[in-house]
Amino acid sequence: MSFWFTVIRQVGRNLRMTWGSQLMTLLTVSLSVLIFAFFYLIYTNMLNLGHKLGDDLSLIVYLEEEPGPELQQQLINKINTFDEVEEVRFVSRAEAFQRFADQLGKNQDVLNEMPRDFLPPSIEVLPMKNLRSLNQVKLFSAYLARLPGTIKVQYGQDWVERFYYFTKLLSIVVLLSGTLLIMTTIFMVAYTIRLTILGRQAELELLKLVGATNNYIRTPFLLEGLLQGLLGSSLGIAQLYILYQWIKLRFSGPGFLNVFELSFFPPSVSLTIIGVSILLCTMGSYSTMQKFLRI
Amino acid sequence: MNKPLHDNTATMIEMIKVSKGYPPDVVALKDVSVSIDSGEMFFIIGMSGAGKTTLLKLLCSMELPSTGLIEIGGQAIHTLKGFKLARLRQKIGVAYQDFKLLTDRTAAENIAISMEVSYKKPQIIKNRVRNLLEQLDLADKHDTITGELSRGEQQRITLARAIANSPTMILVDEPTGNLDATTTERVMRLLTNCNKAGATIVIATHDQSIYRHTSHRVMELRKGQLHSVARGTSR
Repeated sequence: MSFWFTVIRQVGRNLRMTWGSQLMTLLTVSLSVLIFAFFYLIYTNMLNLGHKLGDDLSLIVYLEEEPGPELQQQLINKINTFDEVEEVRFVSRAEAFQRFADQLGKNQDVLNEMPRDFLPPSIEVLPMKNLRSLNQVKLFSAYLARLPGTIKVQYGQDWVERFYYFTKLLSIVVLLSGTLLIMTTIFMVAYTIRLTILGRQAELELLKLVGATNNYIRTPFLLEGLLQGLLGSSLGIAQLYILYQWIKLRFSGPGFLNVFELSFFPPSVSLTIIGVSILLCTMGSYSTMQKFLRI
Repeated sequence: MNKPLHDNTATMIEMIKVSKGYPPDVVALKDVSVSIDSGEMFFIIGMSGAGKTTLLKLLCSMELPSTGLIEIGGQAIHTLKGFKLARLRQKIGVAYQDFKLLTDRTAAENIAISMEVSYKKPQIIKNRVRNLLEQLDLADKHDTITGELSRGEQQRITLARAIANSPTMILVDEPTGNLDATTTERVMRLLTNCNKAGATIVIATHDQSIYRHTSHRVMELRKGQLHSVARGTSR
């Protein structure tokens, strides 16, 4: 009889004898993976959204007066002194009026009584793609506000700040759910293996006396932990995928989800989550054996 | 039969000034020295509490001596650990006084355990189990849960498990304690056959019927001390 055949038979026997607690552990592991992976999925999608919004980020510098060609060049030079930018666009009063009228569409007749120069001229600054962090954007905004003739700088401060703090909060939730995943998988698997060991104390003692090697006795328990990790995490990821498909189907059409494209993990991330879960469960199993398996 | 533990010597068991104590101040064995040859059948007798079971536990390395040296096949057993100790135990068959049966498993499964740890082929295990059960008049108990068997039947299953893996050394603790005369004779015949096949047999007993007319050596223990070692008169 080969070693692996014997070990697999032992694992089968263990699972049969303690199927109740094994099932509970499996569900707990899968739930932990589901919770962690769910928040991680939201987090990664938010990061993607952040990158996308960052690409569209522009700072609008409202000016007191329309700059002439020489002043325009001077302002461009000043802006480039802080950092290189993607593009600098000057918007005249007339251009600003026309844009506003276009935005009003059918209701543009409300502007009939208004003078065509009531909107201030502005400069639209598209920063480089590497200008990502909130602090950098804030510094750049403060720099632009100090340019001569500037009334105000706008880039949707409130929105950007809220989004930034929301992403921060999500990263903390991901961290917490990750810790939860680590603790539940290790403790639950360790507890189940401990129950199995205590329930089979007499058999393990006998196995030792008839000459079973340490590997013969330990490997089935390690394999149990490994199986719990594999099945539990695969189940968790599968549940999340079903949930993801349901959300996509349920909320497709005009609405929030059209603002950005919701995407699932690439296979490599799913495999990493499964791999880490397997490792954690096997570690839980190993630590219990070290404590309770006196061989 | 397994490969002999030690090919180049005729001595299987060497005990030199072996003592075993238990806290707080119980002396189970004191300064016992004896050599048992390879292929010998050896009886240990004495009253209850004389130290017979303790001596067997030391021989199968279930416990370690407090002082003294025990060598099995030339190897000092207190130095063995891990894989080497497991290999040694595979070559020692032990029938414990308290049976150590898995009472929720069948008779066949209990006997098979000692062969499974040596990775014997399933067909060999199956045949060997059937053969042993027949020899011990337990063929009809193949699939019976051992917890449902009588004490005498459990004792025979224990013995079958001890010899199933064809060990080179068999330690038997009170093999006939719960058996009638006919079954006792059957058990002793089985042990004698193992001995003839080359196994060293050590039997701890206080049943005079099995050693009274023996030609083998008989060691008597009294209060943990060696009282006498004498060869039986009958041949």
